[in-house]
Amino acid sequence: MRGLFQRRRVDTALLLPVLALLGVGLLLVASATLGGRFGDLAGRQALWMGVGLALMLGMLAVDYRVLLKFSFPIYAASLLPLLYLLVFGRRIAHVRSWVRFGGYQFQPAEVAKIATALLLAYLFENEQDRRLRPAALVKLFAMVLVPCLLVFLQPDLGLALTFVPLLLVGMYFGRMRRRYWAMLAILFVAGCAVGWLFLKGYQKQRIETFVHPEADVSGAGYQVRQSKIAVGSGGLVGKGYRRGTQSQLRFLPVRHTDFIFAVLAEEFGFLGVLVVLSLYAAVVLRGLRLATHARDRGGAFLVLGLTACLFFSVILNTGMMIGLFPTTGIPLPLLSYGGSSVATTLASIGLILSVEARRFANA
Amino acid sequence: MVEVAFVAAAFAFAAMAAAYWYTQIVRGDYYFRLSENNRLRSVAVTAARGVIYDRRGVPLAENEPSYTLYLYRRETTNLAASIDTAVALLGLPREDVERRVARYRTYFDFVPIALAENLTIGEVAAIEARSAEHPEFAVGVGQRRLYTKTASAAQTLGYLSEATPNQIAAQPDRYRPGVAVGQRGVESAYQDLLAGRDGERRIIVDSFGHETAEESRVDPVPGRNLTLTIDQRLQDVAERYFQNRVGSAVAMDPKTGEILALVSAPSYDPNLFSRRMTAAEWATLVDNPFHPLQNRAIQNVYSPGSAFKVFLAVEGLAGGYVTPETKVYCPGYATFYGRAFKCHKKEGHGWVNLREAIRGSCDVYFYTLGKRMGIEKIAETARAFGFGKPSGLDLPNEKSGLVPSEEWSATVRKTRWYPSETISVAIGQGPLLVSSVQLARGLAGLVNGGRFPRPHLFLSAQDPQSGARFEYVDETEQRMKIDPSIVEQVEDAMWAVVNEPGGTAYLSKLAGVDLCGKTGSVQVVAQKDTKKEGLLPFAKRDHAWFIGFAPKRNPRIVVAVFVEHGQHGASAAAPLARDLVATYFGVPVPHPAPPGEPDALPPAPTALAAARPPSAPARRAPETREVRR
Repeated sequence: MRGLFQRRRVDTALLLPVLALLGVGLLLVASATLGGRFGDLAGRQALWMGVGLALMLGMLAVDYRVLLKFSFPIYAASLLPLLYLLVFGRRIAHVRSWVRFGGYQFQPAEVAKIATALLLAYLFENEQDRRLRPAALVKLFAMVLVPCLLVFLQPDLGLALTFVPLLLVGMYFGRMRRRYWAMLAILFVAGCAVGWLFLKGYQKQRIETFVHPEADVSGAGYQVRQSKIAVGSGGLVGKGYRRGTQSQLRFLPVRHTDFIFAVLAEEFGFLGVLVVLSLYAAVVLRGLRLATHARDRGGAFLVLGLTACLFFSVILNTGMMIGLFPTTGIPLPLLSYGGSSVATTLASIGLILSVEARRFANA
Repeated sequence: MVEVAFVAAAFAFAAMAAAYWYTQIVRGDYYFRLSENNRLRSVAVTAARGVIYDRRGVPLAENEPSYTLYLYRRETTNLAASIDTAVALLGLPREDVERRVARYRTYFDFVPIALAENLTIGEVAAIEARSAEHPEFAVGVGQRRLYTKTASAAQTLGYLSEATPNQIAAQPDRYRPGVAVGQRGVESAYQDLLAGRDGERRIIVDSFGHETAEESRVDPVPGRNLTLTIDQRLQDVAERYFQNRVGSAVAMDPKTGEILALVSAPSYDPNLFSRRMTAAEWATLVDNPFHPLQNRAIQNVYSPGSAFKVFLAVEGLAGGYVTPETKVYCPGYATFYGRAFKCHKKEGHGWVNLREAIRGSCDVYFYTLGKRMGIEKIAETARAFGFGKPSGLDLPNEKSGLVPSEEWSATVRKTRWYPSETISVAIGQGPLLVSSVQLARGLAGLVNGGRFPRPHLFLSAQDPQSGARFEYVDETEQRMKIDPSIVEQVEDAMWAVVNEPGGTAYLSKLAGVDLCGKTGSVQVVAQKDTKKEGLLPFAKRDHAWFIGFAPKRNPRIVVAVFVEHGQHGASAAAPLARDLVATYFGVPVPHPAPPGEPDALPPAPTALAAARPPSAPARRAPETREVRR
């Protein structure tokens, strides 16, 4: 382990912004849960960060190629809790996406996502054709859509959508043919039309609220409106740490989890937003750069898949704050309060670092 | 490939930064205002309304705390159970509670719902004791108006109720919907004085609407306390007399115009307005055929009857139409313009001079005088004494009455003036219409020798904070020239009415004070039908008037009493005048005039008039209301 650091095998250009984001996340969770019903949750979040960092180091220590080899069993195992949830899950806010054990809740979809990324990498490790073969395409769709569907049935549309970047990574970096893109685009549009009929009432409402946020100020539109007010009222420099009226006076809903970025925007203003967006950009862009360093195709796809998931979540969540996307309940990686989110995100960072650390053979 | 993704990702982050720049920098001020609106709420702090006292400091209208039960839906996990608790705890009607809750279904759940007003102290304690298990209930403290004398002088005092749309439109900076504003009476006339200036608290609230801190406050300026000219002792005497009677009475200080008592009957309990009145109660008030909301002393006008004769007498002497010695023979009727006019005394008064004509209320004498003067001179005299225009009393909606003339007949009535009508007007009948306050003012001017102070209820106002007093200043006193000897002669004749055998109000002679006056009765139906008045249905009986003053030298009180369908001024109106004067001078009255018989009035929903004792809680909206800025 020490050797890894000493020989500069750990990519500090990726690790440092991640650690900085963790620090910002602790600050924000502390502010958002100030005097709250649950007390100050920053301590618990720090604990989870510790767990996550340990996981990260664990991932770094294990050779990712071993994990790729066992990716299918890992993948299959990660689907079991999702099935369990579908059958026995308790609903939290309409949704059965949490497993409880002890006093803690855990979101197994996050683990399934990493497992899917591993399986995806394993697929492309063994798929050396220049163009994506139809058989590989089917496998790709199958491996992504199964967990995606299980999560969707929980039903958690937002969380289900976070699997989509893996699909896109496979399709794009696997060099899918143009005509498949066209076919899939047509299928997608048609699927959306049919899907609308099967969406749950509250899901439709969220989407309708996104289109007409003014129509329902007290209900679903309330969240978007309050978060836009929080963000906009932050101005250039913000209202000051723990001085955000929108969050401290509880106008902002789920401010310590999904809406943590609005707390940042309100209390630290546009400058704070710029800093944090830059940190995320550093992580994502560094991730993409590291993908080109990977010594094998599997490592590259693993890094691409995990980076894409991170990127997707960040853009969706931050866009959600200001109404660019519908509210779907996606946490902001590394900043949002939540054990499973922060731990799995750190684990995936560990995987990326692991690929980078082994860019030269026999390391 | 990765390069394309690299650029695309960088572009996405830049675009996101641009979107935040737009939201936070370009639209920042807009959202900042919204966030301020979110957290700041303006709560009006209603100023304590000024207390209304009678002239000796007896409170007539004051404020008392009232308690309202509020339900905060956001604090309850089981709304149905909360409703059950409230119903069980306070014994509230379930349908009413459910209706109130249902009305707020579409509101934010931090908006409190008023479940019940005017809780007793015991009920408040019961709720506070359960505040731990039921945090959803809160008790709000407000103030409500309490009219301590219930129906006494109700029309004079007026009442409070929610500002009408017209009032809000007229003074949008002062009135908000739902704010209690003086309606009618003194409460309305001196609204600005009594109301003071509401204060404002700007509080910081959380998203539950709970106050977390106070940002700023403007303290309310309490309303001024108002002392009226009313003497509640006199008012009580008159109110008692008017139980089960219909009519009005005015007692006034002729020197100053201060109203000592102002009664309109039937009355109502203004405390009913201090809460949301039920539709049934409102219907009872407005459907009452005697219109208890009306102030009969200023808003109902009637023929003055023979009470008018004293004013005619002044001009008769002053204009030289008669001398004190002029005698007219009364055989019980007289013929003018080919028509016989009866005197109220069928057997006639014989030869009478002016003094005897007033004492015995001889119609024939005044027919003759009126014919000599002509309608124009009569009208001029009536107007000089203030008839045909508002007396200037400081209450809203006073009626002018009517002084008929040839011009009025031609322009308003659009018929010719018939000379025979002049004969009727000479004894106060015909189209001539006056109110009791106008008669009191006219008589005050007469006994003052031509000085007419403006009748008023305002004695003084006091600022409860600084203690500064504001006294009434009369700037509108009117004068006419009357020869003092003429005044003396008419006064003497009015003295005779009460104090000499043969005077029409001799039965109301008062030992100890020289009560002087003049009776009047007003025909409701044609004379020939009134033979057996006692048997006539109520609505067809004559109205009774009495105007009087005391003492004879240097009068200190004038009274005008009108009893609708009271039949005879002497028997129905004069006794109250006597009792008022006796009370004013502290002279014992051997046999005070009794209230009307319980079944004296035809069946009418008058039960509300005096039904509510002051202890029965009247209900009103809470003192403070939240207004979202």
